[in-house]
Amino acid sequence: MDTIPAVENSPPQINSAEFVRITIYNDYEVPADTTVLTASSAYKDETIDAQVFSAVGGLMSIGGQQKSIRVTSADTTVALSGIQGTLINTVLSTKIRGSELEIWRGFYNTSGELTSTAKRFTGIITSYNITEDRAGLDDSFVVSVNASSYKTVLANRIAGRKTNKQSWQFFNTDDSSMNNVYSIAQQTFDFGKEVTATSGRGRGGGGGNRDDDGGRNQQQR
Amino acid sequence: MAAIQTIIDNCNGMTINRRKVVGQQITRNQIPRVSTTPTKNPWTMELDMPTSFQYNDARALMESTDTLDRTGYEDVTFSNNTALNWIYRYQGSLAVSQLNGLTINSFVGNQLVLSGLPAVNANRVIFEPNDLIQVAGYPYPFTSTTRITRGTGATVTVTTHRPNIITAVVDTLNIVVGNACTFRLFCPNMPVYKLTVGGAQYSTGGTLVGNALIEWSAPFQLYEYVGTS
Repeated sequence: MDTIPAVENSPPQINSAEFVRITIYNDYEVPADTTVLTASSAYKDETIDAQVFSAVGGLMSIGGQQKSIRVTSADTTVALSGIQGTLINTVLSTKIRGSELEIWRGFYNTSGELTSTAKRFTGIITSYNITEDRAGLDDSFVVSVNASSYKTVLANRIAGRKTNKQSWQFFNTDDSSMNNVYSIAQQTFDFGKEVTATSGRGRGGGGGNRDDDGGRNQQQR
Repeated sequence: MAAIQTIIDNCNGMTINRRKVVGQQITRNQIPRVSTTPTKNPWTMELDMPTSFQYNDARALMESTDTLDRTGYEDVTFSNNTALNWIYRYQGSLAVSQLNGLTINSFVGNQLVLSGLPAVNANRVIFEPNDLIQVAGYPYPFTSTTRITRGTGATVTVTTHRPNIITAVVDTLNIVVGNACTFRLFCPNMPVYKLTVGGAQYSTGGTLVGNALIEWSAPFQLYEYVGTS
């Protein structure tokens, strides 16, 4: 477990700010092709892990993050801007769903200098929301993104491959093992019966005589 | 006409709010725990305006408030009005020429280190608490939180009420102090005005040019514009 010196022994006062980084993967086949957005509630730009966090990045609020001893599937929400139209464009024109969201808390001393940081959340953006609020002459909107922790992502992950042509050839385009799956799907056939001429497409065996087979050729569905 | 400056010059009440963004909690054993977010901590002021402007005299003011609306900002000062220049008057004992010689050695966090100190007695007060200090060319005033005396060193360190919010390098720049400082303010709620009957005005030819007093819908809530700092 990480120890955060700034909050050890329950100090009576803590000075802290939130830092958010969104890493947008522009092309999933080229992991290095990314666009990074940063925002913070700090009074000036700060550098954490060689990343400069913009103090005017439009950060509005950060939802709660669940903390527990065991690994949990907690989600969080980050509201990004109340005014800047560029952020709406960012959400709509980039592949922000699936982007990585990281949240740090930075701790300051009484002189207003950043002394240490602690990462609070790492997850993947699963959805976004743009809310426009126009009441009378007041017009504003908020862009918020929802992120799930990696545990949720892993829990929802589909592992392995399906027994169909498309899934099989995703790994090997020359693999023809499943080419005939579509033609026999949903068909009734008898196992162990000698193949005979059939009228229906893909009917295996053409139907057997149960009495003769002594119950061996049960229809399989 | 400078709208916000006119409002300041004519207001009949001013509330200054410099409170920080904090979290507070009292634990079960009644120990207070607090947290603060080191924001830009902008100045906020609420000004009450009297219903004393006559229509014909206030037309320029009405137009400039409409032009400024709730988005435009204005640089204002408390020094250009002899009835108001006591607000944020410099309380230290240095002469203007000596203050003009002060330069910024560094300004990190809320620690402002000044050099170019005059050769005066070590007990001479340079800043009293609440004295305004501004980096020359940047309309974002800071206050000295403590009394600062000359001392014997080549520099003095001033603890300011908020950290350095200026993005540019400010080392070697001069400072401005006291009511010579300027505030960059905008009015997010920019009140609207109502014309109420009264205060008739006539031109020299006898033509009625105004018969209304200006009544503002709410106090002017001014907010420091730190977006360009």
